[in-house]
Amino acid sequence: MNNSKCKVYLSIRKVNLTPSLITMDKSQFELRLLPIYFKTVALGIMLVTFCFSLLSVFEIITFDKEVAKTISKSVFLIALLILAISKNKIEDELTLVIRLKAFTASFIFGVLIVIIDPIINLFFEGMLLLDKGVTELLIGMLLYYFFMFFLMKRNK
Amino acid sequence: MKNTIKIERAFKDLTQEGLANKIGVSRQTINSIEKNRYIPSTLLALKISKVFEKNVNEIFKLEEND
Repeated sequence: MNNSKCKVYLSIRKVNLTPSLITMDKSQFELRLLPIYFKTVALGIMLVTFCFSLLSVFEIITFDKEVAKTISKSVFLIALLILAISKNKIEDELTLVIRLKAFTASFIFGVLIVIIDPIINLFFEGMLLLDKGVTELLIGMLLYYFFMFFLMKRNK
Repeated sequence: MKNTIKIERAFKDLTQEGLANKIGVSRQTINSIEKNRYIPSTLLALKISKVFEKNVNEIFKLEEND
């Protein structure tokens, strides 16, 4: 198709021939993370949980041990989650890549634990890690996430 | 992919921290780009080229295997 024919074709199809710039969406570089002060909140919750656990262990406060244990674990898990999804001091595209890689690694870690755990239990009876519960698995996954995040950040 | 950020920085007498502050990223990101451990997005590449007042192609160059 030569140039004049091409112009006629485009005018028939009502194609806009004037070049215009399209504003590109930058949301691919944004994760909806919590503001940085949530890190302090998470650390505060952790500290309170630690104190609560100590007080219940040494029986300074009278609380059913199992209930105290469940509450402590759940609150600690929430604190870890808040810490994981709150922003860093400088949040740029490299941090985003590292964050996503670390999340992937921790997810794979969780799946592997679920698969490997019963096999280990076959050979070494009573070594079942998941026997303790899903909370422990999630805490383990989040701790692995932090480990991978800081390892990748240091090596990048 | 190759880049000449380190050389451009030397020409402009800019530190990694200085460049990072100008384009709103961490010093570590600049270090990773300079050491070819991280390829920046188009957005970041354009910001870097704006600081050095050069075309993106002059700072970032494709290699044969790219």
